Amino acid sequence: MNMHKDNMTNTKNTNLIDDSVISDPVMEEQIARGISDLLNNRAQHLKPELEQRLSAARNAAVNHLAEQQAQYSTANQVAGHGHVLRWFGHAGQNFEQHRVASTALIVVVMLLTFFAVQQFGSTHNLENSDAFLLASDLPPEAYADKGFDAWIESN
Amino acid sequence: MATPKELSDFLIAIERRAFKQTAYAVRDDHAALDIVQDAMMKLAEKYGERPATEFPMLFQRILQNTMRDFWRRQKVRNLWTTLLSSFGSNDADGEDRDPLETIDVEDDADEPSAQLARSQTIQLIERALEKLPARQREAFVLRYWEEMDVAETAKIMGCSDGSVKTHCSRAVHALALELKKQGLDKLGLSNAVFDKK
Repeated sequence: MNMHKDNMTNTKNTNLIDDSVISDPVMEEQIARGISDLLNNRAQHLKPELEQRLSAARNAAVNHLAEQQAQYSTANQVAGHGHVLRWFGHAGQNFEQHRVASTALIVVVMLLTFFAVQQFGSTHNLENSDAFLLASDLPPEAYADKGFDAWIESN
Repeated sequence: MATPKELSDFLIAIERRAFKQTAYAVRDDHAALDIVQDAMMKLAEKYGERPATEFPMLFQRILQNTMRDFWRRQKVRNLWTTLLSSFGSNDADGEDRDPLETIDVEDDADEPSAQLARSQTIQLIERALEKLPARQREAFVLRYWEEMDVAETAKIMGCSDGSVKTHCSRAVHALALELKKQGLDKLGLSNAVFDKK
């Protein structure tokens, strides 16, 4: 029991000492920087096999970026040789990179255009027939009467 | 857009630190290497078009997320291992090995006594760092080791500035306490730092 009490007192004392040591934010910062410096120093001395693997990983990442950029510039060159998409500037390059999406987008635009033209055409026809009926000497009911055509032909 | 040369220079500058930070967190050199490799590749693949000035923050965020993924996978794997091992034999062949045993002692050409003292100090710090709760370690590493400001650290950790300060303060207190317990007061630490330079 006494031992336990002693331990508790010791722990309390240790905490007090440490709290007083780093109660100052400047001191806290200093200790943290000191620890970081030591860790940094440690990190500079890795085993050769670890260094090798890190180097290989780095090279793979850098090569990947180089390949990506080469593809990107190839796409730009394609767009640069009279390709229609270059008119869209940067958006045109995006079209090149996302071919499936751009194809779908073009199909949708074409369908919309087709339906718009159809709609416009039927509206135009209706307008023409209305104008004809209104400008005609005969009343519109005459054209709906089936006997009227037969009477015109017989006379 | 960053050039491959800029990416290469950036990775050369941070790869060792990134590896050690990851190794302290996951306590496995091979896993740490895989995580760093993944993070490097993700940076090149997804953020290669960003300017090189954004790389430090992006890389740290990727690294922290990759570590979290690793822990998640590890949790699932541990669950299965526990379930399966309850059916099988229990011949534990070094599963609980101490990762600190694998840490090598650097071979400086300094005086042997100073070299030994520094090496011991670093080992104590590494051990203390490994003992820290994950969030405290993350805050300490980003704020002091990576020298990011509070706002950047908070952004990467996905918490408030106040939380970062609290985590950092607790981490430094815990590290100082651990060093004190091992008989290294701040003077000893200062000396070790001074000796290194």
